[in-house]
Amino acid sequence: MADEVPRSWRDPDLLIKALPTVLLQTTCFLAPLVMTFLLTFQRSRNFQLQWSWDLWTWTDVFSKPHYWTILGHTIFMAAATVAICLIIAFPIAYGLATRFKAWENEIKVLITFAFITDATLKIYGWALFLDKNGMANYALSSIGLPPEMVAFLYTDWATLLGMVYSLSAFAIFTLYLSISNIDRSLILAAYDAGAGKFRAHWEVTLPLCKPGIWAGSVLIFLLSVGAFLEPKVLGGGKSPMSAELIRQTFETRVNWPLGAALTLVLMVVSVFIVLLFSRLIGLKRAGLAA
Amino acid sequence: MTAILDIQDVRKSYGSYAALKGVSLSVNQGEFIALVGPSGCGKTTLLKQIAGFEEPDTGRIAIAGADMAGVPAAKRPTSMVFQKLALFPHMTVAENIGFPLKLRRTDTAEIKKRVGQMIELMQLKGEYLTRYPRQLSGGEQQRVALARSMVSAPKLLLLDEPLSALDVKLKKVLQAELKRLHRSVGVTFVHVTHDLEEAMMLADRICVMRDGAILQLGTPADIYYRPAGSFVSGFIGETNLLPITISERTSSGLIYQAADIVDTDGRIAADLVAGKVAKGPALLMLRPELLRVLPPGETADGAIAAEVTEMFGKGGTVQYRARTPGGQMLVVEIPGTSSLPMRIGDKVRLGFTKKDIYVFGVEA
Repeated sequence: MADEVPRSWRDPDLLIKALPTVLLQTTCFLAPLVMTFLLTFQRSRNFQLQWSWDLWTWTDVFSKPHYWTILGHTIFMAAATVAICLIIAFPIAYGLATRFKAWENEIKVLITFAFITDATLKIYGWALFLDKNGMANYALSSIGLPPEMVAFLYTDWATLLGMVYSLSAFAIFTLYLSISNIDRSLILAAYDAGAGKFRAHWEVTLPLCKPGIWAGSVLIFLLSVGAFLEPKVLGGGKSPMSAELIRQTFETRVNWPLGAALTLVLMVVSVFIVLLFSRLIGLKRAGLAA
Repeated sequence: MTAILDIQDVRKSYGSYAALKGVSLSVNQGEFIALVGPSGCGKTTLLKQIAGFEEPDTGRIAIAGADMAGVPAAKRPTSMVFQKLALFPHMTVAENIGFPLKLRRTDTAEIKKRVGQMIELMQLKGEYLTRYPRQLSGGEQQRVALARSMVSAPKLLLLDEPLSALDVKLKKVLQAELKRLHRSVGVTFVHVTHDLEEAMMLADRICVMRDGAILQLGTPADIYYRPAGSFVSGFIGETNLLPITISERTSSGLIYQAADIVDTDGRIAADLVAGKVAKGPALLMLRPELLRVLPPGETADGAIAAEVTEMFGKGGTVQYRARTPGGQMLVVEIPGTSSLPMRIGDKVRLGFTKKDIYVFGVEA
């Protein structure tokens, strides 16, 4: 490995082949990031951007606990979304990959449809469903129960519901792929060795699903961290999350340097958490990364 | 000798497809038995019923005298070596081998000791313990799979074609290994294979299956020299089947006529005849190596006149193909050093000894 890498760098043919990708990555990904970073050293005064080149914005970010409370809340909500999605997705994916083989395609089409339907539409649908005069309450009161759902909409729970609803398909599909790749004879071997159903799941199915669990978790976590529709519509904007804060900073307060700084903080913290967990889970050790 | 495995009239259907049509089999303690047959014959299905991955529709399976009905695979005193080995990719070699013990709540020191013994028994290197299965060669993985199956000291070791994916050379090595292992541990082996040659090498008794039923159960020599019919006889090696007509069948034997055979007395003793053969058409079997070329003037119990049409050198032996006047093709195999070499076009007499023949009925 050690002597292969430098050689490839000197290979002009390879460099030319890599050029389109490099250009695309630089212009579309790296350049905006650098611009965002540079923006944080400016100031905003009277809705005007001033090229001041100082640390005023960063001082602001690190001196106000308000921003960090929102960030913490965001991370917590994202983590909760990941956990709930995984718990819901595992039995569904397992069933798809094993028990309901005959209906596999039909179920996949249904999930895909639910998944690609416009998010705004779905979230407002939930809001209507959970509304004071919505279907949920109507159903509850018609069977003689108190219309409890009024208390549910515009809470963090409603936000969570919306996020789980929007994102669980990622976990279903990544887990489904992992589970359907597990050789059936491995499960039989676990039974044969003396494992009950639960033990076989715990010792064999679950560890072999690690890549799927991991891929789904990363996708859901990063998308949850960026969610702004759910906290706004279902959470009623009562406890805003980072994405909503950033949107407000850019659009309502027209403070681009602060918005840029908050964006970078969110990115760095998210990436740090993902890296930390990939270390903890140790995909490399199990040799399942590939 | 006690029966460690007793199978009574086991039937199993998948939908309308009958995979096992009433199989009965009794295996003795310490025996090496091979289930052989073409794909779809039900041998693997039978193994699954023994292992407990499936339950038979009807019939009874008893292991060491205990009825296994309703006993899940995890609770049976059996252990399986899978066709694809099924080593856990996320566990090291040591973890793989120790897995059955871990499930039995054996303490760590004991697991370590037993895994070490298994590694030694399988002639694996100690440094492999910390490696993952994919870092081992095919043969080494095979040994790990065997070690994992043996570590919990099962009463029955079930082998589901574990050697079928290996190249010929490695296969031979592991066949010898299996035989050695069987001798040294004394566990009863039930080995499924589609390769009758492999079964001949390994097994004490062979159970030939076809279409969900047992065609014949016997020692390798029985299967080779006393096959129950033309299917079994054609399943291994080459054979000559000559049509004959039985004119008289008595308890002491039979009297027959055949177009191409010059027989001294036209009689065959009862012990050379398959049980079910009655009056009428039948087949007389002669293995190629049991025919010899008769020098002029010499006689044998029986002789067949033929003309040599083809010859193939096979190293130590030479194989000839010859046609009788009646049009029947014969395969003859004689030592390459034979003092009576034949050439294509030679008209020869092929002799046989009465005790070398076997007669069975014509299969539908």
